[in-house]
Amino acid sequence: MGNILDIIAVLFMVIGTLFSLIGVIGYIRMPDVYTRLHATGKVSVFGIVFLLIAAIILSPLSLWKGLVLIFFVLLASPSVAHSIASAAYRIGLPLAHPARDDLRGKMEQGDGRDV
Amino acid sequence: MESIINITTWIVLAAHLLMALVAAWRVWRGENSIARLTALDLASTLTLAVLILISILEQNSIFMDAAIALAALSYLSTVALAKFISDQKVF
Repeated sequence: MGNILDIIAVLFMVIGTLFSLIGVIGYIRMPDVYTRLHATGKVSVFGIVFLLIAAIILSPLSLWKGLVLIFFVLLASPSVAHSIASAAYRIGLPLAHPARDDLRGKMEQGDGRDV
Repeated sequence: MESIINITTWIVLAAHLLMALVAAWRVWRGENSIARLTALDLASTLTLAVLILISILEQNSIFMDAAIALAALSYLSTVALAKFISDQKVF
């Protein structure tokens, strides 16, 4: 059988794919934009990072490129989600069955009519 | 062991390609512009995963450079598009 590292790499790859699958299913089923952003965050953070760990284990030459990519994806994903959520709130997209809306009144909103 | 890695990589690549196609279809058929923008971000992240898997299959790290470039471009374009959608001007 292969050494332990290859088994770990295959495991990471499968776990990364499961997280991506959960993220895409979450993206399709979530009611409004804000919860969808929560789902896509899973894909880009857990899915990609686990795949990158598997890639680094399987081809150790691309160690530093993989680390740069992990750092960049972990940096970019939350700020992308933030910018999309603030854009959605600014044009006034409704929250699906909102429990609390802390930003109500503090930020000028559009009327939800699409661009 | 080599064949197990190959088979798993091919299956994972097929799964990610399928998900990227689903996300691309949602880019085409989203109900409003923000949903389409989220689908665009999802599709580019999944193509990033496809690039990484190809770099595993081909054992060639040039695809990692392409993945870094795609990550940077998709990040910048999504933020610029979100800014444009929110108040109709980019700068």
